[in-house]
Amino acid sequence: MKKQKYWYKLDNAGKIFPAVSQDERSNVFRLSFYLDETIDPLLLEEAINKILPRFETFRVQLKNGLFWNYFAANERRFIVESEPAEICKYFRREHNRGFLFKVYYLDTKVTLETFHALTDGTGALHFLKSIVYQYYKLRGFKINHEGKILGELPYSKKESEDNFVSNYDKDKRRNLKEVKAYHFEGEKFAHHWNLLVKAKIDSKALISLVKEKYQCTITQYVSALLAYSVFNETNDFVGHKKPFKIFIPVNLRPYFDSITLRNFSLYIKTSYPAEVTSWTFEEMLELTKEQFRDQLDKEKLHGQISSLVGFEKNPVIRALPLILKTIAFKVGYNILGASISSSSISNLGIVDLPSGLKSKIKDADFVNAGYGIAMTLISIHNKTNILLSSPLKDLSIMNHMISHLVKEGLDVTIDTNYKEVYDEIL
Amino acid sequence: MKYCKTCHIHYDTPLETCMFCNGELEDNQQDVLSYKFAEVKKRSASRFFYRLFIFLNIVSIIVSLYLDYADGLPLEWSLIVGITNIYAVSMFIMLIIPTLWTSKLTKGIILTTGSLILIGLAINDYSWALDIVFPFAVLTNTFLITILILVNKKKWFDYFSSLIVISIIGLLPGLFNVLGFTTIQWPSLICFAYSAFTIIGIIALPSKTMRDEFKRRFHI
Repeated sequence: MKKQKYWYKLDNAGKIFPAVSQDERSNVFRLSFYLDETIDPLLLEEAINKILPRFETFRVQLKNGLFWNYFAANERRFIVESEPAEICKYFRREHNRGFLFKVYYLDTKVTLETFHALTDGTGALHFLKSIVYQYYKLRGFKINHEGKILGELPYSKKESEDNFVSNYDKDKRRNLKEVKAYHFEGEKFAHHWNLLVKAKIDSKALISLVKEKYQCTITQYVSALLAYSVFNETNDFVGHKKPFKIFIPVNLRPYFDSITLRNFSLYIKTSYPAEVTSWTFEEMLELTKEQFRDQLDKEKLHGQISSLVGFEKNPVIRALPLILKTIAFKVGYNILGASISSSSISNLGIVDLPSGLKSKIKDADFVNAGYGIAMTLISIHNKTNILLSSPLKDLSIMNHMISHLVKEGLDVTIDTNYKEVYDEIL
Repeated sequence: MKYCKTCHIHYDTPLETCMFCNGELEDNQQDVLSYKFAEVKKRSASRFFYRLFIFLNIVSIIVSLYLDYADGLPLEWSLIVGITNIYAVSMFIMLIIPTLWTSKLTKGIILTTGSLILIGLAINDYSWALDIVFPFAVLTNTFLITILILVNKKKWFDYFSSLIVISIIGLLPGLFNVLGFTTIQWPSLICFAYSAFTIIGIIALPSKTMRDEFKRRFHI
């Protein structure tokens, strides 16, 4: 039996986002599915409101306590909207009936944009799959869910568990001190608009390239490629005092046997020193592989969890009223948080769909807009979509990356939210 | 699908030229390509007027203070102008930030009474603000939220923080009485008593939902 009244403490990863999010840094990420038919907004809205009670971690509103924010049940009806031009746009929850996610429609595309305090990519993907499944059910299709649609499975309390806290071990804490990273400079698009370039590549060809030619994973390959493009296309990186650092989220669920729908990701960082004046792509890839091997270690990730949770368990931090915590988070994030990464890469993996939905969902996007260049990857129907987004009016790094992929013999198809007329507006 | 001969990439969007080399794209005419994102539209410069409003208020404060100071008299009218300017900007910012209207009401009353007390201090006659306006404004606000909670029980937890904050502020007139800041005492005493009873009521008459709300609001 599902509870009507419930509340959650924010998880460790989500605690900072309400304090530091704004128009320039929305901490919102996007997942889209392109369907085989034009979306009926009313039916989409009905589908969401039908499955929301099943997803109690999404059916919440953010509230202020004396010491911490918390999530309380939100019994309001959810309303869908037409897709805006800005990707991963910051939204005020007060304008969204308190909900911390948005669902947009545009022709055949349904888009879920989620505030990161709520969940990570894995949780959002489960939710979007369930919305689309329910949508087709309401359209009258009978599709076997094959155990791949969470909304059709019984609710488990484990889905709402804060696995940061449940895996906290104070003896495993480690020092998380980091050096500052190189930052991209340049003119930005107006109105917080982010340029999106989507490169669609055949997954088999890409896997065969990275496995056979380079003996690495796709994420390692694209990390090295991004760093190599920055090295080649920027004129202020070489000789810069700070290294180029890529923030790469790691899904912790497989490591800690978790099925939570709340945030349960940490990160690793690949770092490329600016002092080196000559790099080959192969050298950068070797360095990337070495850093992945070193950091993708369960014990080290456990230590990272314990350190982060240890920080919030500090009695002085806990006793600070929320208003002071918010100020401290804002100041701390501006001084430290934003300056320790140059770019981010997030690979959501393959979208696993029941066979009945495979023909109905034609394509998928996963976008994480941020400072510099944010790269995201999602694979569906044997195609891998590499999505590059940036608030900067500079295509040189993206150009270098795409050219490199073409030179490797891959067939690349580009899609973008850019139009020639935008040069006049943005 | 379109194709760039120079970059050797395909385009699944109706661009005329390649994004990377500006070369004209070849069109195989077989597919009808569509733009898959929402169109960007020109926006009005509402932010400009917001900044202009704040800027004009700052200019007003500086000019008033300067003129008053240049006259060689004790600052009085310029302080009233300055406090009013700050009040106008604060109210404007508070009103455009979307929150629950009860929260806006509470913040508005705190801002208004605070400004009136400051004006009273600026003209060396603050008793009317501290003795009358402050306790009655807080009293009215506490009463309104109490009524709202009783009428709309389902959403009482939305108004809970406003009630707690305004009730705690309502204890201040009592403190001012004890410290001898007030000359007319009965409004302050009524305000103090009403706020104290409200707080005692919240603590002493807890239902299970009230206890849960306390747990949420004060979890550490």
